[in-house]
Amino acid sequence: MSKKDRDKEIDKQDLEREEKQQQPSEQDEPSAALSERLAAKDEEIRSYVDRLQHLQAEFENYKKRMLREMSQFEERIADREIIDFIPLYDNLQRAFTNYSNETDAASFVGGLEKIFAQFDRLLKAKGVTPIRAQGELFDPNKHEALLSVESSEERNTILEEFERGYKRNGRVLRPSKVKVSKGQLDTEEEKS
Amino acid sequence: MKEKIIGIDLGTTNSCVATLEGGAPEVIPNAEGERTTPSVVAFTDSGERLVGRLAKRQAITNPNHTIASIKREMGTDHHVKITIDGKETNYSPEQISAMILQKLKKDAEDYLGTKVNKAVITVPAYFNDMQRQATKDAGAIAGLEVMRIINEPTAASLAYGLNKSKEQTILVYDLGGGTFDVSILEIGDGVFEVVATDGDTKLGGDDFDHLIMDWLANEFRKDTGVDLSKDPSAMQRLKDAAEAAKMELSSRKETTINLPYITADASGPKHLEQKLTRAKFEQMIDALLQRTVKIVDNTLREGKKTKDDIDQVVLVGGSTRIPRVQELISERIPGKINREINPDEVVAAGAAIQGGVLAGEVDDIVLLDVTPLTLSIETLGGIATPLIERNTTIPTEKTKTFTTADNNQQSVEIHVVQGERKMASDNKSLGKFQLAGLPPAPRGVPQIDVTFSIDANGILNVTAKDKATEKTASIMITESSRLDDAEIEKMRREAEEHAEEDKKRAEEVEVRNQADQLAYAVEKSLSDLGEKVPQEKRGEIEDQVRRLREKLSQNASTAEIKSAMDKLSKSSHELAEQAYKQASTSGDATPGADRASSSEEPGPDGSDKDDDSGYIDAEYEDK
Repeated sequence: MSKKDRDKEIDKQDLEREEKQQQPSEQDEPSAALSERLAAKDEEIRSYVDRLQHLQAEFENYKKRMLREMSQFEERIADREIIDFIPLYDNLQRAFTNYSNETDAASFVGGLEKIFAQFDRLLKAKGVTPIRAQGELFDPNKHEALLSVESSEERNTILEEFERGYKRNGRVLRPSKVKVSKGQLDTEEEKS
Repeated sequence: MKEKIIGIDLGTTNSCVATLEGGAPEVIPNAEGERTTPSVVAFTDSGERLVGRLAKRQAITNPNHTIASIKREMGTDHHVKITIDGKETNYSPEQISAMILQKLKKDAEDYLGTKVNKAVITVPAYFNDMQRQATKDAGAIAGLEVMRIINEPTAASLAYGLNKSKEQTILVYDLGGGTFDVSILEIGDGVFEVVATDGDTKLGGDDFDHLIMDWLANEFRKDTGVDLSKDPSAMQRLKDAAEAAKMELSSRKETTINLPYITADASGPKHLEQKLTRAKFEQMIDALLQRTVKIVDNTLREGKKTKDDIDQVVLVGGSTRIPRVQELISERIPGKINREINPDEVVAAGAAIQGGVLAGEVDDIVLLDVTPLTLSIETLGGIATPLIERNTTIPTEKTKTFTTADNNQQSVEIHVVQGERKMASDNKSLGKFQLAGLPPAPRGVPQIDVTFSIDANGILNVTAKDKATEKTASIMITESSRLDDAEIEKMRREAEEHAEEDKKRAEEVEVRNQADQLAYAVEKSLSDLGEKVPQEKRGEIEDQVRRLREKLSQNASTAEIKSAMDKLSKSSHELAEQAYKQASTSGDATPGADRASSSEEPGPDGSDKDDDSGYIDAEYEDK
């Protein structure tokens, strides 16, 4: 809105300037020079606004492109990660294909154990480590409390791990879900 | 650089902070990498203060010193009593809210790399003066100068740019994690006025999770006789699975909840596996959704509006992603539904825009338009080849190089179309012009630069320039941005509906183009190689070329054309191989022999009907 107004304003000035130029002899030198400079400034402003708009639009389009590229990038990373897990899936499938009632249960379980070890190695290779929980002191940076019970253990000691947590390169992938000791209520006046 | 004013959605369950980056709102992720932060504060035994995700994780171990939903207490004289090491401290709701704001402020500072001193904070439309003042005070305690307190529905409307339209009535439906709000706003001259507002402070997405959990536990008890509700570990797994299922059902019709080893009894381990359809889920939550509809009706009545008065509907809150919610609203209110912006972030985004306005960051230079639909030219076979994709911010300019489809083609026609369909004829024609006077040349040789340039006012200039002769022709199109919303919406919908068949048709044309190019290239290399091709081989290849051309002129199926192409390209490969062998033994290299194998080059359609239409070939690589 106001940009259009400004354009109109500039147009008006242009017109006025033209009018002035049509009657040159009446005007004294300095004023003619001034309006020339003014016209030059107008032109300068116009070119700056134009450049600013173009740059701004380019930045917007750049952001959109980055977002697109980022999601493509994420896709490719995910592809690469999945490839590493497919052999495990293959092996599980082999285990089930070979399984029948006649199969020795021990050899089936033995196979599964091998696949599990393979899984374990893969996670280790990817830098995934389990978060220690049981017996540790509860730390909300890496543990999530599901339950809090009285016990003879010191307050805030983790009594049980419901679901193991994992971290990678110091970042928590998933916190451990745990049961935490409240301590003993008769010694600590907890309910006030 | 002007000082940033951040926008904060200080929510009951979650909060979100956003800023303007290059004129557009951008959500600031917190230190944990999440885009929203739980509105939870805790004090640990050691006196440490936790805010957000960490506070939430320890809530169960520390219920007396963990504070959630403090927003409900804002503006009251409620106090939170915290006793640590026998020392009792009282905190006002403002002080607790300030702790959340402080974390948001710090995370924003880390993200932006500069100090943040000013903010716009949102509050529910029903907040009274005391509650608003308390929110402002919370900001001050957190070290933020609160430049303005704005209503959440107003912020959401701002994020959709609804302040720019003339007089309108807007209904904002906000279904969050734990609260539900409806507001009716009237806008005139860029000023929003709340006409009516209502809600239910105990209704939200968490309730839907619980309904799924209860259903799962019930089904499990029916199947196995085991009551999971006594097992906190199992219940936690149920809760996570319920939430995941709910989310999945927003994009799928059915999901399977699979929780192996959920529990065990004397007979051994038990597994939970349940299918949940969208229909079943919708049935579960129907009563709750009907409640929201009733509240919408009440609000309309209270605001003395009928559903026909509503021009725009804005959806806020994660639960509005549920398709049934959207259906119910559009059944109820025929107004235009706005739901493109992430509903968890839309309020913070609007607050950031308000902040940008106050900081003088948003003015007419920054508010740039986008092209609502893709702008293309028609190329060989009637395909619409895009130059400027939809949603590109203007002003902008794009150039692509094209070539001719026929030998000695003297002119090309540039047909400019607008729309998302693959075939030019399905899109809206904006104009056409000729570039004539091309010097005689084999097809594929001339290089014609086509430039689309849109200025800040949406005026499109299309110029075609022959690189060899520097001849140019152009057209100016002023109506490209003058489609109204309904028309744009209709064209987009049509494109979506026809996406599959359009893709198939475009592929068919593509194959035909390739086939023609291949036939042409093989013929050319046959004539280039001349005597070097054994008579018998030449006859065979010429026969294959003829058969491929026949298939094209008979409008044979894509599969048939493809198989004819395969045969021809196989023999042409042999031909090229032979030619190379000869060349290396005789030392007489034959340029052009490799042309026959370059079937990847997008090729023209050779059918004679197009002979003088002068379609432009598909694009050249112009890197």
